[in-house]
Amino acid sequence: MKRSMTKMMAILLTLLMTLSVVACAAPAAQESAAPAEEATAPETAATQAPAEATPVDYSGQKLVIWTNLTADAQYEVLSKQFAEVAKELGVEVEVEKVAFNEMYGKLAAAASSGDVPDIMHTNFGGTAYLYAADSIMPLDDVINAIGADDFSSAYKSVLTGKDGKIYGLPDWAMHTSVWYRKDLYEANGLSVPTTWAELLSNAETLNSTDLSGFAVPLDGVQVSAQTLYAMMTSAGVYFTDPATGEYCFDKEKEDAIKVIDYLVELYHKASPAGSLTWSWGDYRNALAVTGTVAMTLDMGAVIGNAQGNNPDMVDKLGCFDFPGIDGKAKASFGSGYCFVASKQDDGVRTALVADFLKALYTPERAAERALSRPMFAFPSYKPAYEIYKASDKVADFQEQVDFIFNSFENGTWYWYGMEAGLSAMSAYIESTNIFGVALQGACDGTYTSEEAYNMINDDLLSFAGAM
Amino acid sequence: MTSGTMLKRPRLITSYERRHKLIGLAFAIPVMVFLLAFVLYPVLYNVYLSFTNASLIKKTSSFVGFDNYVKIFSNKLFLKYFWNTIRWTFFSVLGQLVLGLGIALLIARPMKGGTALRSFLLIPYVVPAVTLALVSKWIMNSDYGIVSYWLQQAGLLEARQSLLAMQGPAMWVVVILNVWRSYPFPMLIYWAALKSIDKQIYEAATVDGAGKWKTFLHITLPQLKNTTIVLAVLRIIWTATYYDLIFMVTGGGPSGSTTHLPILIYQASFGSYQIGYAAAISMILGVLMFGCIIFYVAKSGLTED
Repeated sequence: MKRSMTKMMAILLTLLMTLSVVACAAPAAQESAAPAEEATAPETAATQAPAEATPVDYSGQKLVIWTNLTADAQYEVLSKQFAEVAKELGVEVEVEKVAFNEMYGKLAAAASSGDVPDIMHTNFGGTAYLYAADSIMPLDDVINAIGADDFSSAYKSVLTGKDGKIYGLPDWAMHTSVWYRKDLYEANGLSVPTTWAELLSNAETLNSTDLSGFAVPLDGVQVSAQTLYAMMTSAGVYFTDPATGEYCFDKEKEDAIKVIDYLVELYHKASPAGSLTWSWGDYRNALAVTGTVAMTLDMGAVIGNAQGNNPDMVDKLGCFDFPGIDGKAKASFGSGYCFVASKQDDGVRTALVADFLKALYTPERAAERALSRPMFAFPSYKPAYEIYKASDKVADFQEQVDFIFNSFENGTWYWYGMEAGLSAMSAYIESTNIFGVALQGACDGTYTSEEAYNMINDDLLSFAGAM
Repeated sequence: MTSGTMLKRPRLITSYERRHKLIGLAFAIPVMVFLLAFVLYPVLYNVYLSFTNASLIKKTSSFVGFDNYVKIFSNKLFLKYFWNTIRWTFFSVLGQLVLGLGIALLIARPMKGGTALRSFLLIPYVVPAVTLALVSKWIMNSDYGIVSYWLQQAGLLEARQSLLAMQGPAMWVVVILNVWRSYPFPMLIYWAALKSIDKQIYEAATVDGAGKWKTFLHITLPQLKNTTIVLAVLRIIWTATYYDLIFMVTGGGPSGSTTHLPILIYQASFGSYQIGYAAAISMILGVLMFGCIIFYVAKSGLTED
């Protein structure tokens, strides 16, 4: 009797231990064996959901929303709008801030576990990541229901996947320009440069004991890639071919090395030595608050810095496009934020997500979101544009707003890796540190420009090959 | 009757022992389950991952044999990062032990306010790494950092330059920060060890005419040998895998000059999404640390009954 009890105990304990281990292994097993039907089912539900569905009772439903906008002004507007729409639809929302610097870590964990938020307000890189991880659904129906023509066509194309469907609902956009001190230009009799040589010459002219002509920020992750890419686009050098979507950086070695050479020269001749590790806050502060640099590349947040910390500087700042090597830039570097929605399990939740997003697109709400951002994020929803322009916040910057909007809408602009639409390469470029390692090394003399190019190209090729 | 009792006795003892063993096993089960689920399983899963091309972007993965290991050793930067790991660990541990011992020698002597002083000296250990990182970045900012300003004024640093933006000095900065933050642990252990040294040995040495230096060299240090070995091994394990401070102060830069293996693992996982590759790097670091653990177990007497 006792022997059989012991056996029973042993069997039970073995079972318990096995179950513990299996329980821990379960998510990974599911992940690796994700059946095709599971992956496609929610998408089918998404396409089946009518854009103008009859009112559905959403009571008891809850939506989880993530946003990368952690600054108070932006977060408050977003959470206020989410709460309003939730009340209109009779649902509950849970909003979580995800700081930009931890976004990819959290997204990776979420995508890996399948526990992605229902809606996420994120940038192009985040959208590309979730698209590549097959975690989000197309939003063509939502865009059509709001009015496809009301969105910037350039913006829609950047959020288009390989299947021709649009995976992000454009919210607001930004354009990278050279922000500069108009007063210093005037005092030194300088005019807006039209070539790289002129830009370098202007920067050197502006150099003085307490002032650097042009900040070249090269913080390891993101910033160094952005700085290089702004220069690359102006020279017509890309990571992926805008026409075919194929990786093309390996075919542009000669031109890419020229760009890196120029970046290194600009750093040595006109940038503070410490800018090798400068991030966004450092260079914006130096231009708009302390006034210790005369020019830098930025998407306009420098104005917000000046308004908040040194209002006297606001009138002294202006912007122009980074010039091309010998004339007009081939393209420019643009960015933006959009809403993405994860694949839902059933039609009701898919309809709920669609209705929730549609409700966010009144001209007033779209303008309010764009205006909550430090200058110059402009709404990509055209009906909101006039409200945006009439706002006190941008009243003094009509010229710059028109310039940026025109550059964005009528010029050629790209976000790295997404020259031909959504691509995982974009998220990779944004999160890898190889740009920092290579470009910082090129600037401090550890590597030649060619070595830096090879390091970046090898790394990107390795990623492209692994996909 | 007697023989019957003698026959029954062994059965009683066996039954008791069995019950005793079962009870013991029952008490051990939760710990065993915990170790299996949270130690053995993750380790084995990591070993498995290191032989796959698992990625955070792709939903499927396949077995790739030793490809990840080949990729690691053919990566020209790996050797640099490995060397960084050794420099970071060696100088951090050396600094912590030397500073810890030095301060322990100072506070081991009876003095007024000794308890308050010891508490004060523990402050770095309770300073959160994030606070230390933010303050360090601030005081070493190239434009407004007070340390950078002093060094620039003294002509030791180029105008608008920062130690954190220079490849050589950046590593020394993070090592010094780590030494500052971590010395209290060795200090406390050394202080306790010093207290336990028999005073009579010192008295005998004094009678024999040994000076302070000779006493330290021939009595104190040998008495602290085992403590030092155990401390060194523990600090090596903790430091080599310590990630937060470097990540927050330099992010592994400039140009990878402060990237050590834990940062590389993070970058491979969340910067390159290559979980399989990151697992292979973890295996290399893990094997090195396992060697330290074996050394520690051998030296700390844990193998003794």
